[in-house]
Amino acid sequence: MKAIIIGAGLGGLLSAAKLSQVGYQVEVFERLPITGGRFTNLNYRGFQLSSGALHTLPHGPTGPLTQFLKEVNADVQIIRSDQPTIRIPLEKSNPNYRKGFKDIFFNKFFTPLSNKDRLKIALLIVSTRKNRPEGSNLKTWIRNQFNDEWLLRLADSFCGWSLNLKSDSVPLEEFFEMIENMYRFGGPGVPIGGCKGVIDALETVIVANGGRIYNKTEVSKILVENGRAAGIIAGDRAYEANLIISNLGHVATAFLCSEALLDKTYSSYLKMLEILKPSAGIKICLAADEPLIRHSGILLTPYAKRVNGINEVTHVDPNLAPPGKHLTMSHQHIAPENLKNLRVEIELGLEDLKEIFPGKKYEVLLIQSYHDGWPVNRVASGMDPGNETPIPELYVVGDGAKGKGGIEVEGVALGVAATMKKILG
Amino acid sequence: MKINDNCVGCGQCVSFCNQGAIEVKGKAKVTAACIGCEICFLYCPVKAIEVSV
Repeated sequence: MKAIIIGAGLGGLLSAAKLSQVGYQVEVFERLPITGGRFTNLNYRGFQLSSGALHTLPHGPTGPLTQFLKEVNADVQIIRSDQPTIRIPLEKSNPNYRKGFKDIFFNKFFTPLSNKDRLKIALLIVSTRKNRPEGSNLKTWIRNQFNDEWLLRLADSFCGWSLNLKSDSVPLEEFFEMIENMYRFGGPGVPIGGCKGVIDALETVIVANGGRIYNKTEVSKILVENGRAAGIIAGDRAYEANLIISNLGHVATAFLCSEALLDKTYSSYLKMLEILKPSAGIKICLAADEPLIRHSGILLTPYAKRVNGINEVTHVDPNLAPPGKHLTMSHQHIAPENLKNLRVEIELGLEDLKEIFPGKKYEVLLIQSYHDGWPVNRVASGMDPGNETPIPELYVVGDGAKGKGGIEVEGVALGVAATMKKILG
Repeated sequence: MKINDNCVGCGQCVSFCNQGAIEVKGKAKVTAACIGCEICFLYCPVKAIEVSV
């Protein structure tokens, strides 16, 4: 049996590793000279910046991605990060960090609340696990339960960091599935070697299993015969296959199928694709001699104007920066209505960092923005249409086809695992 | 080297440019230090870099 994988991003390589492990003859086609997509390292002035993800696995060494990596014998070490902290103003009434701040642990997020609301939180933590709230979005739900701005700010910061969404765009079902996953799988971790540590390990597995990866080879068409996926065209050659896995998201995959999807039996699928929207964000990479955060966990910043959270991965792997330096990366979600003012969004992010780290010395290494054709997520979290396509033997994986409640790359791994289950039984 | 509207500002080109000839802030900008080696063209994920023929 022969499988062709289009795109050597994380979803593509996970699929290739699994299929080659169970005996498929696997060929991976990648347009760029590098593998890893938005989950690899970019070496810049001795710092291992990243092509997308912030060198973090949201559920660390016990999450779905690590489980999958173990299953395919990929040799990479994932280290659990320190507990996340939240930066809050000294006085709860202050709308920002200018008059001083303190950090609290994430699992003590309720401490700024009134006694009555703390009790309510304690009850909800128990009751929502039994009876999951549904049918609304997170912001509306919080507003109905509490009259407290703190929880809304925290929700936006947390959802911006983990789902790249504002809380009013997060379906309750998705949010509570994600919370359940946090109980199930635990908190974040950092791979040794950064994102590329994972990618290198997967490539080693694929090659050892007899699979092949072709870089600088763009797929121009997916061949469909008798209604089933039958191969691809890359360069000026056709390649046959029994199975095709696309790591490009549903929309770009449909484009490659071209006239094969014109039949009216596919019109509802094509109509569904029209509503899929990628999500946008900005990452600002900082270099510092002294650590800015001082722990390996995430720092959430709910009182910043735009920045949702920041991490400092050099506490886990010092080799991600030159000797004696730290690499600190911030993430901010860009709301769809603000994308047209990208430069303004960047300036607001830079102002935030000055407020979050007053008096600290750091250098802005690189400002990276992601939207449209190279987004944070090809489909906003909680909205993606799953891994199947209307064409048998053609599947979609990656951040445009995640598993339910899966944060970032954990969602990619859950989506690949679900796809493999469908294919391999 | 011309940057077209496909550019999202991901900075991938900046990291592969050996001349330090690309700046990015929302969108990439080629500076006078560019020697026209065209390496950035290969690494752009969105085909935003056009090389003059």
